[in-house]
Amino acid sequence: MSSAYIPLIVDGLADAALIFFVAVGLTLVFSVMRILNVAHGSFYALGAYISVVIGLWLTGRGGPVLGLAALVISPVLIAVLLGPLIELTLLRWTYGRPEALQILVTFGLFLILEDAQKLIFGVQPYSQDTPMQILGITRIGGIVYLNYQLILVLMAVLVAVGLRLMLKRTRIGKLIVTVVTDQELAQTLGIDSSRVFILAFSLGVFLAALGGALASPTVGVAPGLGSETIVLAFAVAAIGGLGQIEGAALAAILVGLTRSAAIYFAPEFQPVAPYLVMLAVLLVRPFGLFGSIGLRRI
Amino acid sequence: MLRLEQVRVRFHDQIVLRDVKMDVPASRTTVLIGRNGAGKTTTLRAIMGVLPLENGRIWLDDVDLTGVRSHDRARFGVGYAPEDRRLIPDFSVEDNLLLPAIALRLAGEERRRRLDEIFNLLPEVAALRHRAGGVLSGGQGKMVALGRALMVGTRYVLLDEPFQGLAPALALSYADTLVRLRKSRPDLGLLITESTPRLLDKIVDNSLLIERGEISSLARKAA
Ligand SMILES: Nc1ncnc2c1ncn2[C@@H]1O[C@H](COP(=O)(O)OP(=O)(O)OP(=O)(O)O)[C@@H](O)[C@H]1O
Ligand SMILES: [Mg+2]
Repeated sequence: MSSAYIPLIVDGLADAALIFFVAVGLTLVFSVMRILNVAHGSFYALGAYISVVIGLWLTGRGGPVLGLAALVISPVLIAVLLGPLIELTLLRWTYGRPEALQILVTFGLFLILEDAQKLIFGVQPYSQDTPMQILGITRIGGIVYLNYQLILVLMAVLVAVGLRLMLKRTRIGKLIVTVVTDQELAQTLGIDSSRVFILAFSLGVFLAALGGALASPTVGVAPGLGSETIVLAFAVAAIGGLGQIEGAALAAILVGLTRSAAIYFAPEFQPVAPYLVMLAVLLVRPFGLFGSIGLRRI
Repeated sequence: MLRLEQVRVRFHDQIVLRDVKMDVPASRTTVLIGRNGAGKTTTLRAIMGVLPLENGRIWLDDVDLTGVRSHDRARFGVGYAPEDRRLIPDFSVEDNLLLPAIALRLAGEERRRRLDEIFNLLPEVAALRHRAGGVLSGGQGKMVALGRALMVGTRYVLLDEPFQGLAPALALSYADTLVRLRKSRPDLGLLITESTPRLLDKIVDNSLLIERGEISSLARKAA
């Protein structure tokens, strides 16, 4: 393969990393609570806004390196504050109810979060690319890489591996897997499923907000980010198979590379590229790459 | 003593348990016999707290379990093996057995003690400890599910149709295991549902009959 394609691939993988954070959060929440959260993309947007604001503030106090910390602090903050609050007050009442109702409730939440965001941050775009600037570039064999993009890809790999290890090895991970497999059984074994729900939902919020925070140096943060993101995350989760972590990872890579190829070769197709991939995959595998009917496994 | 008082359960417009009264004494084996759809599983699920009661109370000695949430009932030492074995397919047999121990945060020592006790009673399970739950045969899975119920059930163990789907030879060996369990854990209260109770002759103390959600006493063997 000609090295001319390398920038295309790196762009695609960096894009895939950001998509993966949101899509895996969506898929995790779906597999634990059996709910498709329409407001999930809003946590991504919130992650982006808040990390820009906190990043500017920290940069003002201690310089741009300290500003980098905002990219991790903001998602943690959002998850801790909003995760339990939303799960306990809103989602809890929709479990086991008809899907139409769940979608209406989370759509309502989406509208509220979008308006709250406009109220707080206004409608003019924010941009803060200092984190990308200060991390600089690496030159290998005449090709220039943005270090920030390399770090994005590395973080996505760490999150994917970390999630899998958490589910396999840690106490809370095992409890989550048990609730996913069989909630009633889990309860008879002494597992407090309502706690598992709070935790899993907050983890989903964290992953979406992390995606947004890490995306903020690479894009203009403006209204519409939440709705764009949720549609894309749905597509990626569906391609991977709802509830499948490795599926979401592979789907994100597919979509990221396709989008980046579209940008290089046929820019007018860039917006529809993810949905063409989705169409092609779902025609062959209606439950996604890693999914199957009635699957209760994460 | 585990006691059900006037327990009524309804699914939509159908009443499935009709003001059931039932005593399940400790140190005894109680068998609940009934046809398909009589309400056996529903009775056990009501005791485990995974479905709402329309009426009635459930007592464990002098503790009112009625308002105690399902996962907290496990803390009172009531274990349950559902009719289908329902293991976690990706976990090893040992991890499946230890799930209640990590959920209840049992101390390491107590964990080992219960695990050793289970492996002593069920040597065939000990041999499978590193296999994945998802690759076991039906009979092996039932044994593991029994072990898992014992991990929770320090005072009571509820078994829902344990012989269902077992080949005759396996059913016999499962029955032998229950005889050994009865001997090794004389204090344990056992509640077993069955549609064909023949295999339980050796250990049954008290047989109850359930028909269309109503329980009547069938026979009582001197204790
Ligand atoms: N979740 C449910 N929703 C509606 N009806 C139910 C539900 N669970 C059980 N029933 C009904 O309650 C009645 C008793 O069911 P239950 O499962 O307790 O019977 P069972 O004695 O365990 O039967 P089996 O021998 O077939 O296991 C049946 O008529 C069944 O159709
Ligand atoms: Mg039954």
